[in-house]
Amino acid sequence: MVIFRIVEMTSRAVGTSWPAELAAVLGPDSVITDPARLRTYECDGLTGYRVVPAAVALPRSTEEVAAAVGVCARHGISFVARGAGTGLSGGALPVADGIVISLQRLRRILHVDPVNLRAVVEPGVTNLDISRAAASHGLYYAPDPSSQQVCTIGGNVAENSGGAHCLKYGFTVNHVLAAEVVLADGTVTTLGGQSQHLPGFDLLGAFVGSEGTLGIVTQVTVRLLAKPAQVRTMVADFATVAAAGDAVTAIVAAGIVPAAVEMLDNLAIQAVGASTRSVYTADTAAALVVELDGPPDDVAELFDDVQRICRDQGSTKIMVAADAEERALIWQGRKAAFAAVGRISPNYFVQDGVVPRGRLAEVLGRIAAMADEAGIRVANVFHAGDGNLHPLVLYSEADGEHDRAERLSTEIAELCVELGGSLSGEHGIGADKACSMPRMFGEDDLATMLRLREAFDPAGLCNPGKVFPTPRLCGERPGPYRPHPLETAGVIERL
Amino acid sequence: MSAIVTTYRPADLAELRDALTESARAGQRLAVAGTGTAQWGGLVDADAVVDTTAMTGLISYNPTDMTVAVRAGTRLADLQEVLAEHRQWVALDPARATAEGGTVGGIVATADAGPSRHQFGGSRDSVIGMTVVLADGTVARSGGHVIKNVAGYDLAKLFHGCLGTLGVVAEVVLRVHPRPAATATLAVACPAREAFTLGGRLIAESLEPAAVEWTCTRPRGPGLAQRAEAAREQRDGTLLVRFDGTTNGVADRLRRARALAGEHAAEGTPEHWQKAGRLAVGAPGDTVLRLGTAPDQVAQLVMDVDRLAATHAVDAAMTSTLFAGVHTVRLRDAPAAAHAAVVESLRMAHSAATVCRWAPDLRNELAPWGDPPPAVSLLRAVKRRFDPDDRLCPGRFAPWF
Ligand SMILES: Cc1cc2nc3c(=O)[nH]c(=O)nc-3n(C[C@H](O)[C@H](O)[C@H](O)COP(=O)(O)OP(=O)(O)OC[C@H]3O[C@@H](n4cnc5c(N)ncnc54)[C@H](O)[C@@H]3O)c2cc1C
Repeated sequence: MVIFRIVEMTSRAVGTSWPAELAAVLGPDSVITDPARLRTYECDGLTGYRVVPAAVALPRSTEEVAAAVGVCARHGISFVARGAGTGLSGGALPVADGIVISLQRLRRILHVDPVNLRAVVEPGVTNLDISRAAASHGLYYAPDPSSQQVCTIGGNVAENSGGAHCLKYGFTVNHVLAAEVVLADGTVTTLGGQSQHLPGFDLLGAFVGSEGTLGIVTQVTVRLLAKPAQVRTMVADFATVAAAGDAVTAIVAAGIVPAAVEMLDNLAIQAVGASTRSVYTADTAAALVVELDGPPDDVAELFDDVQRICRDQGSTKIMVAADAEERALIWQGRKAAFAAVGRISPNYFVQDGVVPRGRLAEVLGRIAAMADEAGIRVANVFHAGDGNLHPLVLYSEADGEHDRAERLSTEIAELCVELGGSLSGEHGIGADKACSMPRMFGEDDLATMLRLREAFDPAGLCNPGKVFPTPRLCGERPGPYRPHPLETAGVIERL
Repeated sequence: MSAIVTTYRPADLAELRDALTESARAGQRLAVAGTGTAQWGGLVDADAVVDTTAMTGLISYNPTDMTVAVRAGTRLADLQEVLAEHRQWVALDPARATAEGGTVGGIVATADAGPSRHQFGGSRDSVIGMTVVLADGTVARSGGHVIKNVAGYDLAKLFHGCLGTLGVVAEVVLRVHPRPAATATLAVACPAREAFTLGGRLIAESLEPAAVEWTCTRPRGPGLAQRAEAAREQRDGTLLVRFDGTTNGVADRLRRARALAGEHAAEGTPEHWQKAGRLAVGAPGDTVLRLGTAPDQVAQLVMDVDRLAATHAVDAAMTSTLFAGVHTVRLRDAPAAAHAAVVESLRMAHSAATVCRWAPDLRNELAPWGDPPPAVSLLRAVKRRFDPDDRLCPGRFAPWF
């Protein structure tokens, strides 16, 4: 039996005529109200939280998105934008009595501009399709979430998504030049522009990563990069997770910036091994995937350096991908790891906290200890190079482990904050971690962020109940504020 | 500007908070100044000034984590010196940092950046955390000390380019990068159009340049129009391409780039970059304008600048970060009215223009800003939420807000 958490988030006022009005502006085939079909939209990738919306709108253009939002604004209806629904923090979780606005029909690639190194696309275009469209020019779109075959660029902008290669290339926010946005009052505006120089403050930068709470993206201009001349990839095995963590720290400290440094622990390797033609050593405690890319001479020299560092740190075996096919196998295993974990455990939670890169070994040790104590298995497969953990907390709903696993999962995220890091590196706060926000930020910090929200959406209709703790979600007193460890250490001050 | 009667010179966050609380009680309108080098945008009409230059020094620096936290009044150049001891740097090189001692907070607030923005973006891309004090004394922190972090809104982005109008930046956390083992510059004498094409080729060949800048010092003195014409036909202007990496890698890429660039290519020197930097900063008496365009508009912009400089008998020089679409135009000599005419015409064609340095009397001839960006109503709405009484740097963004 599966127990779902039904999160109560209700729109403020529900008029009577709005579904008809919505159907009138979008056409009846663009509005879903049939309860059976609505269930498709009840959750995102965080399936433990489910809410059936009152309606789903499927606009085809910016004008139609604006019209749908306009109906919401007039009737005081909450709305939630939705891309592919692969989000892992409940960001696209509907609001009861509110509507979901799906961007799936806005999926045109409007323009690939190899001269200016950019592309203009609609929000429903998948991340990978941008790179596919740019490939004939020798270009690609750099941020590469593991979900890139399905997740949309609109969702990437909303979450400021990362990926394995963000270590060298940066995150979504570093690759978006402009966005056309429908604001909560139904007006359309453009944030950003053609150039890195724009007078006024950086509204686009603040919008990216705002988790759908400041407006709906209807068009995105992204930067494209030239494909690197050379790519080299290795898998280095280690006898302990701590040794692998120390190797990552040593690579970073040596001033080498690999394109990617990913770690899989033994449990993750077992999961991958069970499902694909695995290139990973079945019984190693941990493996690092290190990829370098760039000009050939630079890559050759640094690739040798990385191998030497791994050996110095006690690597038990280094496997260098001989060709593109072997490299693809390495990445296939890595990118399929989440899905593969489903085969060794009926249920799991994913966390995505971040720690300073000098503390990787320490945090992995503490997670293992916490997992032991809770009697729950935790698999680790993550973006080690930028300190972004993805502990997969494995449990069985049927065996009643849900609450224990959820508690452990939250504790891990909060441990990252305690170690001077963050609750989330790329998946977002969403509905999942909103109640943990007071662990990381004080009341004034959150109140100041809300000033931005109020400037964009004074009526609070745009994806309410996400990111920020609310009494409804977290109880009257959302988790006590404890001084941030950096504060205790005198590194940061709060007055 | 009304007479400034009060100067606040806080040394840390607590004193800054107290200064803002006190000034709020007194209802003072505040100007904010770092080294006081930037005059970007409109003239501020204030009763008191917050001078951040005593808020200096590192708060934390752990080279292994590759992040550093500093007080906002720290000079970027001083910070770079400390980082250099560990073979690291903040990937920001606005000319103002070395020429005029620009502070970290000031550089963030002006969104200033230099040639390295080609690879690393601007300060928005290097800042990972920030503590600010709002007009009412509220202390707010966002971001953190790790390079990857999506928890909460990124308020640091909002303060990027705010010119002190949203709050005072107190502390900044930056990501740092390793200093490359080697670096080299290719210098090619060529006009803008060729520079853009060649730069594009070097990128397409995956030579991964760290900076692609085109600079040009226009001829000056009498007979300007004819000489500008002649200069355009000659190979005026210089493309500067910097390669960072390993010793062998950089040597190899420089060699291949030279081969692609042809007969006008040579190895560039630090002096090349210093010249571009001096141009971007300007000197007292100059007007300096920063413009944004789509990258491929550079040749058109150069033609416009040429034509306007000739028409109004102004000495115009220019440096462009080609693929970021960022151009800095320096106007020299000629009366303020001539500078104003050039700027007005450029604004008409390219609205994203900021005057960073004002020639004497230019403010009498020219509005602080041109046409507002499409999202101006959002800029206003944010301003109203952060500083409802319009006490911080009033006039900076006049007439937009
Ligand atoms: C197997 C797997 C692997 C993953 N790997 C990664 C990874 O490596 N890195 C990473 O960062 N993430 C990863 N994710 C998480 C997820 O794929 C990303 O967050 C992605 O950006 C979500 O895109 P989406 O289109 O599915 O958005 P959705 O889940 O539909 O929505 C996500 C959020 O974006 C908002 N939104 C969607 N479209 C718009 C729009 N047009 N305008 C405004 N707001 C909008 C929604 O309201 C919601 O808040 C992974 C997920 C899965 C299932």
